[in-house]
Amino acid sequence: MKKLRKIVAALAGGALALTLAACGSDGGSGGGGDGPFIAIVSKGFQHQFWQAVKQGAEEEAAARGARVTFVGPATEQEVEEQMNMLTNELAKSPQAVGFAALDSRAAAPLLQQAQSQNIPVIAFDSGVESEVPVTTVATDNKAAAAEAAKHLSEQLGGKGKVALVVHDQTSRSGIDRRDGFLEWMKENAPGITVLQPQYGGGDQLESANITKSIISANPDLKGIYASNEGSAIGVIKGVQESGRQGVTVVGFDSGKAQIDAIKSGVMAGAVTQDPIDMGRKLVDSAIKAIDGEQLPKTIDTNFYWYDKSNVDDPKIKATLYE
Amino acid sequence: MAAVKTQAPERAQGGGIAGALKGSLQQLLAFASLIVIAAFFSFASPYFFSYGNFTAILFSTVVIGTLAIGTTFVIIAGGIDLSIGTGMALCAVMSGVFLVKLGLPLWLGVPAAVLFGGLIGLVNGINVALLKIPPFIATLAMMLVAEGLALVLSDSTPIYFTEAPGYTEISTGNLIPGVNFPNAVLVLLVVALIAGVLLRKSVLGRYTYSIGSNEEATALSGIDVRRWKIAIYAFAGLFIGLAGVLISARLGSAQPATGMGYELQAIAAVVIGGTSLSGGKGSIVGTLIGALIISVLNNGLQIMSIPQEWQNVILGCVILVAVYTDRIRKKEL
Amino acid sequence: MTGVTTMTEPLLEVEGVDKSFPGVRALHDMRLELRAGEVLALVGENGAGKSTLMKLLSGIHTADTGMFRLGGESFEATSPRHAQELGISIIHQEFNLVPHLTVAQNVFIGREPRRGRLLLDERRLNADTTRLLERLGLPLDPRAVVGELTVANQQMVEIAKALSYEPRVLIMDEPTAALNDAEVATLHELIRRFVLPHTGVIYISHRMEEIKRIADRVTVIRDGEYIDTLDVASATTAEIIALMVGRAIDTGARPQGVRADRDVVLGIDGLNTKALLKNVTFDLREGEILGFAGLMGAGRTEVGRALVGADRIDSGTITLHGKPVRIGNPADAARHGIGYLSEDRKRFGLLLDQDVRANIALGALRDQFTRGGFVRDRDARATAQSYVGTLRIKTPSLEQTAKHLSGGNQQKVVIAKWLAKNCDVLVFDEPTRGIDVGAKEEIYQLLNELAAQGKSIIMISSELPEILRMSHRVVVMSEGRVTRVLDADEANQETIMHYATLRPDENPDDAAELGIRTGS
Ligand SMILES: Nc1ncnc2c1ncn2[C@@H]1O[C@H](COP(=O)(O)OP(=O)(O)OP(=O)(O)O)[C@@H](O)[C@H]1O
Ligand SMILES: [Mg+2]
Repeated sequence: MKKLRKIVAALAGGALALTLAACGSDGGSGGGGDGPFIAIVSKGFQHQFWQAVKQGAEEEAAARGARVTFVGPATEQEVEEQMNMLTNELAKSPQAVGFAALDSRAAAPLLQQAQSQNIPVIAFDSGVESEVPVTTVATDNKAAAAEAAKHLSEQLGGKGKVALVVHDQTSRSGIDRRDGFLEWMKENAPGITVLQPQYGGGDQLESANITKSIISANPDLKGIYASNEGSAIGVIKGVQESGRQGVTVVGFDSGKAQIDAIKSGVMAGAVTQDPIDMGRKLVDSAIKAIDGEQLPKTIDTNFYWYDKSNVDDPKIKATLYE
Repeated sequence: MAAVKTQAPERAQGGGIAGALKGSLQQLLAFASLIVIAAFFSFASPYFFSYGNFTAILFSTVVIGTLAIGTTFVIIAGGIDLSIGTGMALCAVMSGVFLVKLGLPLWLGVPAAVLFGGLIGLVNGINVALLKIPPFIATLAMMLVAEGLALVLSDSTPIYFTEAPGYTEISTGNLIPGVNFPNAVLVLLVVALIAGVLLRKSVLGRYTYSIGSNEEATALSGIDVRRWKIAIYAFAGLFIGLAGVLISARLGSAQPATGMGYELQAIAAVVIGGTSLSGGKGSIVGTLIGALIISVLNNGLQIMSIPQEWQNVILGCVILVAVYTDRIRKKEL
Repeated sequence: MTGVTTMTEPLLEVEGVDKSFPGVRALHDMRLELRAGEVLALVGENGAGKSTLMKLLSGIHTADTGMFRLGGESFEATSPRHAQELGISIIHQEFNLVPHLTVAQNVFIGREPRRGRLLLDERRLNADTTRLLERLGLPLDPRAVVGELTVANQQMVEIAKALSYEPRVLIMDEPTAALNDAEVATLHELIRRFVLPHTGVIYISHRMEEIKRIADRVTVIRDGEYIDTLDVASATTAEIIALMVGRAIDTGARPQGVRADRDVVLGIDGLNTKALLKNVTFDLREGEILGFAGLMGAGRTEVGRALVGADRIDSGTITLHGKPVRIGNPADAARHGIGYLSEDRKRFGLLLDQDVRANIALGALRDQFTRGGFVRDRDARATAQSYVGTLRIKTPSLEQTAKHLSGGNQQKVVIAKWLAKNCDVLVFDEPTRGIDVGAKEEIYQLLNELAAQGKSIIMISSELPEILRMSHRVVVMSEGRVTRVLDADEANQETIMHYATLRPDENPDDAAELGIRTGS
């Protein structure tokens, strides 16, 4: 017995060392050898959206002979974790840093540190309230949310009760996507009643539950807007589970579930950002910054409305991720 | 008494020193794993072995470490506290309420925020000890309550401490002049020392072990177990409050939505450090080492640019190996 | 006596066995010879190494050196299962039953009859168990949940389980520590039926009178070494004890009469609990040792627990020095100077994973060993050390973990905890359970000294000799009621048994109180 245990322990230890070594050897994703090293600290990691940004960044890096690493906390609430990650990336002395701040002010000391190390910082996805970043590569979330509002209003003929399921009430993107929608409705659609926004943390299950309670509390509900992929999938689930017909759903971002829902007509459509474009432009700007080029204050990445009619359009298709 | 040969490997001289020695011996293995892991990273990456990186590692250990120290008491007493993560967020928000919204001075607002953590613990303790709600459920409920309250009290937006000058110094300042050594790390070391002494030497500490070893026997020995359990949870709560202060001072803001998940990391640190989840055994040194193992791994794996997907796999495996070898050692002792 | 006296080939032989634990040499050059068809008693002081030897035979521990032979063939048991296959079954000092399983499930644990590969055959399991229990003459229900049985019946389940393997050697480690006389008689009956020309029993006990009754020979060990083996028929108890302890034991005299002149310290009036107790009333006087006698289940333990607030009281009053007190939990009791030692040391007494010092200091920690909220370890050590001396607790150091002590020494540790606490009233439930003859005398002496100092002691015991030897008065209980309080000069085996078996409705006092008329 004891012997067996020792063997198992030794095996486990050995396996671990091997894993470490194996990972170590192919360390650093998006190859590209001796070119500049760009460290990207994103807001998230597991989400398809961030994976698409990563993909765009890696493609651009490969094309330009740069090396990138891409990290991000498990959820978009983990501000401290993101600070640790940024600290660790800076310890590796990259030539440039791409940074999507969960909380700009919390990052201020680290941005200061990057500046003193002469590492240019490119903000992406949302603005960083600081003088340090040389530029911001982002979607105009308010404009994109307004686009969603416009299409929902059109679908409903300018009247009825609509609800919002928002992924987050503290982050810039959450606030902008909420306010962009609310403001457009207020100014352009007097016939539409908007319910108090509800927050599901971008969690599918949570958002589905919220959706179901909204539906049962509002028999006359006509439309729902979901502010990101997780929320949208949750809303679709919620509507389906409630069995209610005649609720028009518009969403945000893409992902397989959402695309399928749009193709099958369960969802009216969604606004997509162009995460791959974002990743590309991020690396592009970083390389330009390393080369000492002057960059504009903001670099807008694209967004598009897509629905059943144009979902297979190659131009749209390129921005969607599954 | 021929049979009881005092071959005296563990025959103690003075209870305190010998006890402490024995205690630290038990941590030797966890400490050895820490050294092995750190040595590995030092060879594997040119960026790992540096003063700057070591302080970065320590700095990143502060919050989990502080939470883990408090939780060590609860776990040794045979309980569990799931509310420490969101409780910490609530205390951070309370710190914002006291200092920013109510404009209290630091010397008043900061202790008040720490005491608020004690209050969370007190409520947990009452639920567990008086209302006899199983700790897992009682603190799970508190986890949700704290999460919600943090959002309500902050209007779901971060509270920035720009109007409380000097607050961020608590974490990011350097008390030792001329040396880049964040205050937060000093705070962690000091409270760890205090907690360690209390656990080993105080009545509270002794009863923590006794209750965790055999609650019924302790009660039948005439000890007011209910009262002491409440005291243990409330005491552990102070660390929730302190962690709330430390994290918000580091970030310069109270993030109401952060905190979920911290409890599991803190509990992991405690267990890696050799504390038994079934109670009765454990130490603060062990917990600190456990917390350090986690943050060294996080740091080292990232510094080696290991893809993030693999970092968690490796982290999980290392935790298993660390705890498993600890088990073997205890069996074969 | 089984009457098998023919010299036969030894069934089991042990030779030159050594076994050490860290800091402890438990056995040295140990010898033992069990003949077929006999009951061999194994005696020795607490910590002498009896249980350790049995654990070697049954494959729980392995010997450092030494030789074991069964039926002339040498063997080494590597696991309990292996030992069972060889034909050695053991009933441990501490129970090994799963409390929430049924009798049948416990007996056949690990070898349950199945239907196909996956499904358990519950019906056959119960049928097999019924057959086994019938064969052994045990009136147990195979479907009863073990945790709900009395300790005595749990012991019977252990025995049924051990015998179901049809072993050649049956080892019983203090099987009667929790049994009363009648139950002991049943057990002995079973043993006699088991002992056949090709089987043998090793019987460990601290009760000399039992050994005289059941055993053919007795092997004495001391401090881990073999001392001698005697024929029970020709040896005297004093002889055996002298070999065991290596010195003469002075068995003190019985105390004199009642102390009616002393103040009543504790008054219990009309105590009722939902579970069992009915109208329990008695006084405890200063400096008195009040014995509690009765059969298993009579409610003696319940009185102790209710008295210290461990169980809920439905009605009744407790007065302390004439004033009514409310005792809601054991902490209240402790505040009033009342301490309770449970009969179940593992569950309610010991911190098994803590060391000897922590266990002894636990109760008195705040009264005696702290200053300003911090523990003064030096004081705690000194006190613990002194009890290790007076109670002769066999331990390599004060830092030894309690679970590594022998059963009797664990019991001494819990007693030391209460002696250290310095209570005015001590409720001791089976205080000498598992304690050897010599140490028993030490404890009796300590209790007498406490009483002489004016402390009052309630002593619950299933051992009548102990009750008779120690008590100033004896409270006899039956079925949850007090049937009689006897003065020392009235108390003897017969009177106690009479009142212990009295059905409450036969008791005129009780009947009057309950308003029941009984024809006179
Ligand atoms: N697992 C263990 N680790 C360390 N010491 C042990 C262990 N088991 C037994 N001992 C020690 O070995 C000695 C013999 O113990 P054992 O249990 O055999 O005594 P015993 O004769 O059965 O006593 P009792 O009458 O009290 O049951 C004791 O000093 C005990 O403390
Ligand atoms: Mg024993």
